[in-house]
Amino acid sequence: MSLARVNWRELFARFGLVLALIALVIILSLLSDRFMTQSNLINVLRQISINAIIAAGMTVVIIGRGIDLSVGSLLALTGVVGAALAVGGLPAGIAIAAALGLGLAMGVFNGAFVAYAGIAPFIVTLAGLTIFRGMALAFTDGRPISGLPPIFMTIGYGSFLGLPVPVWIMLGFLLLTHVILRYTALGRSIYAIGGNEEAARLSGIPVRRVLLFTFAYSGLAAALASVVLNGRLNSAQPSAGVMFELDAIAAVVVGGTSLFGGRGGVFGTLVGALIIGVINNGMNLLNVPSFYQQIVKGGVILGALLIERVVSTRRS
Amino acid sequence: MTLLAMRGVTKRFGAVAALSGVDFDLEAGEVHALVGENGAGKSTLMKILAGVQPLDDGTMTLEGREVRFRNVSDAQARGVVMVYQELALVPALSVAENLFLGTLTGIVRYRALRERARALLAQVDLDLDPETEVERLSIGEKQLVEIARALAREGRVLVLDEPTAALSSSETERLFELIAKVKAAGVSVVYISHRLEEVFRIADRVTVLRDGRLVGTRALGDTTPDEVVEMMVGSAVHRYQRPDRHRDERLGRFELDIAGEAPIEITVHAGEIVGLAGVIGSGRERVLPSAFGLRDGARWGEQPLRSPREAIRAGIMLVPSDRKSQGLVLELSVQENVSLGTLSRLQRFGFMRPEAERAQTRHWIDMLSLRPPLPHKPVRELSGGNQQKVVLAKALAIEPTVLLLDEPTRGVDVGARAELYDVIDDLSTRGLGLLLSSSDTEELIGLSDRILVFRGGRVITELRPPFTYEEVVAHVTGARQLA
Repeated sequence: MSLARVNWRELFARFGLVLALIALVIILSLLSDRFMTQSNLINVLRQISINAIIAAGMTVVIIGRGIDLSVGSLLALTGVVGAALAVGGLPAGIAIAAALGLGLAMGVFNGAFVAYAGIAPFIVTLAGLTIFRGMALAFTDGRPISGLPPIFMTIGYGSFLGLPVPVWIMLGFLLLTHVILRYTALGRSIYAIGGNEEAARLSGIPVRRVLLFTFAYSGLAAALASVVLNGRLNSAQPSAGVMFELDAIAAVVVGGTSLFGGRGGVFGTLVGALIIGVINNGMNLLNVPSFYQQIVKGGVILGALLIERVVSTRRS
Repeated sequence: MTLLAMRGVTKRFGAVAALSGVDFDLEAGEVHALVGENGAGKSTLMKILAGVQPLDDGTMTLEGREVRFRNVSDAQARGVVMVYQELALVPALSVAENLFLGTLTGIVRYRALRERARALLAQVDLDLDPETEVERLSIGEKQLVEIARALAREGRVLVLDEPTAALSSSETERLFELIAKVKAAGVSVVYISHRLEEVFRIADRVTVLRDGRLVGTRALGDTTPDEVVEMMVGSAVHRYQRPDRHRDERLGRFELDIAGEAPIEITVHAGEIVGLAGVIGSGRERVLPSAFGLRDGARWGEQPLRSPREAIRAGIMLVPSDRKSQGLVLELSVQENVSLGTLSRLQRFGFMRPEAERAQTRHWIDMLSLRPPLPHKPVRELSGGNQQKVVLAKALAIEPTVLLLDEPTRGVDVGARAELYDVIDDLSTRGLGLLLSSSDTEELIGLSDRILVFRGGRVITELRPPFTYEEVVAHVTGARQLA
């Protein structure tokens, strides 16, 4: 390969997402003088934190060629259970740990049906979507839980080194996910299974256990997001998280992770979540009516996939 | 009278001539068998006849008029219909819908469809409700439906490509009766098969191809199974014949006791290559998947093999027959593929050890002379031969005591093939035990220390060196049993 000739297509395929994000930022800073301010940019990061946490778990599932539609409902369930335990007098740390444990357990529930009963992830987690929502509503009798201990306030509104705590939690979880995917045998197994499950099985990889893990991890991510959301709202709602699964899937696919499995990563997911977050924020600043915001958001998702499709078919 | 004449048919794929100057005649109402070893050009010739591929050179005349089929429907319109090995029916549709698929337009009148379907099924002696979904039929029934479909299109030339490979013996009988019947009705049948006993039972003439050339056409009354075998193998060179070495150290014994199948036992010695021969449907192709724990009922000595993981733990590794769908993760790099079976060894506390992984990959790249020797190249971009080396490297990295090779050189070019043979030979001298399942007779002769021949789901004979090509082919095709 000659150095003089830049391979634009390769460059675009690799950094296209980041370029798109930069282009968006430039356009928005020209359109609105309130966009490119420190407080607004931090605001964007805080706004995307919940979605990015869920999307990180979703990335792991999707690389393993699965999908998890239950995360929004699971967020509601773990949120109300964690809040109820804390309000009921359990130490806040234990209540939060219990919420995380519940998310993990429900993820195992999903994963068991997928990996051991062989039912399609779409169906299993669609069932989970209604089951977990129903459990959250039944548990609270449909009423929100308020009066959370002060630590939730700290999680939702505190800041550290100039960044809000939710952003730190997001960054930490993204980093953890990245390390699992890139540096562990488990992560390698997830890529292998998503790329070719049969070859993975014939290589002696414990396919079922690995698939179980991906769904458990997604459940953990939903629970972690619920802790952040409880902090932001200083209460827990059984109706929280409706449609969050779609926002998370959107961030994953806009971020370049293939829905067919075996390809992608959590850095792309962060950029995907940022693109969606920046568009939302920009449209708010520009006073675009919310009905139109939804149309634009959907259009952006389609456009990103179309570009990715054109680039990847040209490559092969 | 001659219905169809192909003259000087030539077909090239790149620099390789798949067919050179082949002549083929078909009389009206005859059953004409087409035989030859794998790669002889049988399927290519028939694909040209059925309009699947164009010919590069030569002519084709149908009823005295020159024809040139541009595609399959072109050929079908002239009454030339191919019944494929992989059946071309839509599983979720009914028999009746399948029979008339592609001819249906507008609003489908199901009552009329059903009646016409019933008549057609009666023609092939298939007593079936036309409403039955195709996925609920046996393979034999599906094949009869396909033939009925060909008849529905007023086929005058039926091409059957190894039709009995997946059939039970009673289904085979049924097929033969049907062939006799359509023949009596004036339909011509081209019958591709590896089984000479079938050829001698139902065919009027046989044409033998070898290496893309016509060897000859004989009336079955004027020839013998031995002559046909001789025509098939010619004066083949046995390049890889191994010295007959004595092997004492017994590694263990596979006991395959699969429900509904004849039990099979295979003892493996250190440094030994056991060849498994047999046509598709002979049971040969089931041995390695069973021995790798993919089917219930296999044991290695006392150790049950219930999953690939159990087999691997027992020191048994498989190089699967389909590299792309079973052997490789195409999205991943050479290194990542080589590591797939050894992840547990390449990690510490769950984290991959990059230096150990690099060293392992480098070792196998050198050992197998992978080209280009780039560990981070995506395997998708490698040639077939080098992809197969990656699969082999992955298998060898787990340090098995027994390696199962399933069609190890399928889709690999000649040069890379010779290299793989060297590697396989080398592995056996290092004391590995190998089972080699192959449909390539030359490969079996060249590599094996002994050859187990499969027919009808069991081992019918065990051949010891020196092997002759004729001997192996005669046993595999069943010619030996006819003589």
